[in-house]
Amino acid sequence: MEQLNQDLVKSNKTNFFKTLWKEYSIVVVFIGIFIACTIITQGKFASLNNIMAILRNISTIGLISMGMTFVLISGGIDLSSGGVLATSGAVLIILQGSGKVPLWIAILACLSVAIGFGFINGIIITKTNLPAFIVTLAIGIMARSIVMFFTKGATITGRTVHEFTNIGNGNLLGIPIPFIIVIIMAILLTILLNKTKYGTYIFAVGGNENAARYTGIKIDKIKILAYMLVGLCVGIAATIEVSRMAAVASATSGNLYEFEAITAAVVGGTSISGGRGKIVGTVVGFLILGIISNMMIMMNISPYLNGAVKGFVIILAVLLQKRERY
Amino acid sequence: MPKLVEMKNIYKSFYGVEVLHDINFSIDKGEIHALCGENGAGKSTLMKILSAIYKQDKGEILIDGQPLSKNITPLDIQKFGISMIHQELNLINNLTVSQNIFLTREPTNKFGLVDYKKMNKMSVEIIKELDESIKPDSKVKDLKIAQKQLVEIAKALSFELRVLIMDEPTAVLTSKDTEILFNLMRKLSDEGVAIIYISHRLQEIKQICQKVTVLRDGKFVATKNVSEVSENEIAKLMVGREISRSIASNFKGDENNITLEIKDVNDDFLKNISFKVRKGEILGFYGLIGAGRTEVMEFIFGLRKCKKGEIFINRKEKIIKNPYDAIHANIGFATEDKKETGLVLGRSIKDNINYVYLIKNKGFMLNETKLRKNTEDMIKRLNIHCIGQLQNVINLSGGNQQKVVLAKWLMADSEILILDEPTRGIDVGAREEIYQIINELANEGKTIIIISSDLTEIFNICQRIIVMYDGEIKGEFIGTERTEENIIYHATNVHS
Repeated sequence: MEQLNQDLVKSNKTNFFKTLWKEYSIVVVFIGIFIACTIITQGKFASLNNIMAILRNISTIGLISMGMTFVLISGGIDLSSGGVLATSGAVLIILQGSGKVPLWIAILACLSVAIGFGFINGIIITKTNLPAFIVTLAIGIMARSIVMFFTKGATITGRTVHEFTNIGNGNLLGIPIPFIIVIIMAILLTILLNKTKYGTYIFAVGGNENAARYTGIKIDKIKILAYMLVGLCVGIAATIEVSRMAAVASATSGNLYEFEAITAAVVGGTSISGGRGKIVGTVVGFLILGIISNMMIMMNISPYLNGAVKGFVIILAVLLQKRERY
Repeated sequence: MPKLVEMKNIYKSFYGVEVLHDINFSIDKGEIHALCGENGAGKSTLMKILSAIYKQDKGEILIDGQPLSKNITPLDIQKFGISMIHQELNLINNLTVSQNIFLTREPTNKFGLVDYKKMNKMSVEIIKELDESIKPDSKVKDLKIAQKQLVEIAKALSFELRVLIMDEPTAVLTSKDTEILFNLMRKLSDEGVAIIYISHRLQEIKQICQKVTVLRDGKFVATKNVSEVSENEIAKLMVGREISRSIASNFKGDENNITLEIKDVNDDFLKNISFKVRKGEILGFYGLIGAGRTEVMEFIFGLRKCKKGEIFINRKEKIIKNPYDAIHANIGFATEDKKETGLVLGRSIKDNINYVYLIKNKGFMLNETKLRKNTEDMIKRLNIHCIGQLQNVINLSGGNQQKVVLAKWLMADSEILILDEPTRGIDVGAREEIYQIINELANEGKTIIIISSDLTEIFNICQRIIVMYDGEIKGEFIGTERTEENIIYHATNVHS
């Protein structure tokens, strides 16, 4: 009996470390990367200035990737984020540049446009049963085309006033404002995912849609909300992005951001087939992506190799998580 | 002279559950031999052993008196001339008829490329015997179901065919197509092909077969000449005589308290379905696979749209458009396929048990303490074996998974519980526990509807039994009417 008890304690202990590794291996990997980078650059990497620069740079992708995490957990995908970012950003710049409306109304309009695109994505996906991949791809292309049409493909600029440019460029207590927004959103979204009914249902929908339907969960509603949520995140990201220069480039703003965001979520352990994922993981995911870009510059490696390294990291991260399924 | 095929003393177990026990079966050249038995009697398993899809644990198979090697593959078996046509056809829909027939054996030209001309010509040679309207270059997905079956037969014929195994081929056919199939079977048998015909339809067996072998619960019952037995006798052999009389025959429900009434449900498949269930009653639905039992329950649960049909709960009419409405009408539906529709396997016991509870209760934030208590209570009440609440349900045994499904519905205070095949794939011990739970729930005053293809199970736990056949209710049995014979006759649509 005594022996049995000891075995139980022991197995519980190993289980504890096993689950810790299983659930948070990406955090461990991240700490490893961080230390390695610091050593390689003889401490320059870990300097406060550099860290803050990384945090500022990853904020837009970071926001989108956290919204994307919800869509991926629900079993969907959103490839429209880049186009939607440009469109909602342009709305903001046009309104702000006109000087006729207060800034907060312009921002509200920007968010509404982005959420509206999410709503359209969600409605089409749930009502027509077309693959999310196709629908959001098409909507993204349309969004990009519309913004280019209205701006004749040019870069449009707003008014360079401090209250606006400060959103993307400013600091609060030494921390970049964009990253403060990321932290706030990360906390809110973590609560939404882990402490509310919505979070419970979205895992059920992505984990087994049929079982979720038989359980009485309103699947369409859950999915549409997820696309609106990523829309909200894109809207906030657009606000940050265009406020930096008080400008939006209709052809290039937000280009391929959706793939960066999906990469961050997947590196952070979110399953592309739905039902699995966490915000902490995604946060670590986009931090790793930010560190890669930053290290490439610090080590004077051609930025053209950026994609090669990221591609390698994606495959590595997914392989690492594959053996941990369930 | 040795038999064409002889299977001797075959044993087979899956995960420690014996599904075949000492089975003997043999067939001669040109013989059409029926294999029958209830769902789960072991017919398909036996035939899958013959076609080398499964390996027997014990026993041997002789072809022309020669024992088969143990390491034989399904392809080797096909080369012996033994082909099986499965219930769910094994065709690739996006390929053409001839591509399907010659899959992996495509004739090639001198460049090593597939010689489609030759292949189509070879296909025509085979198909013209069966149905001239099938073109070798049409895609299989464009064919009718009966034609697809003929393509399967053509595929079998493209090998030198000696034994054809057909698993319920007529289940999906119209009577006209069935007639065509029977003519083909007779022709093949005249040519010396032996046919093993698995079917529930006793009339068809009388019509086409010379011999019949009956299995029950994985055991050999008898082999008879069809001319010497009546349909009723075959049915009796299928059910067996030693089935224990019910332990639940006395109705304990409240006679006047009708909790659920279904009136006049009709659609393309279901015909005039009406029935009533009372508080504290356990009502059984028996029928063969495809009889329409699950479809009725799906209608009640808002998962199937029917042209007509009314649902009354506690004598008040309810409109149920989706599972959400059904749940709010206090109906619970534990489906047959736990993995597909019952559980989110990658989530914890706690999540799975609380889904319906959360839907029924207002609020946005989760009350973690309450959810944990709910789970704790259910784990105790239903005796769910697990490491802890947060264990993912995928790691539980079948019986414990079923208990989690039950817990999910109990947690939501469901008054009417529909249980579709509640003990399928569950070992004997857990099965008894589930019966116990069902009994207790009925005693507490819940209304329980059980769908089962296991006659013993229906008999042991249900007080009243409704039998369905082909989308229709064929009979309702209670008291002295409630006999195995009555039920199997109505389920197989034999008129005695």
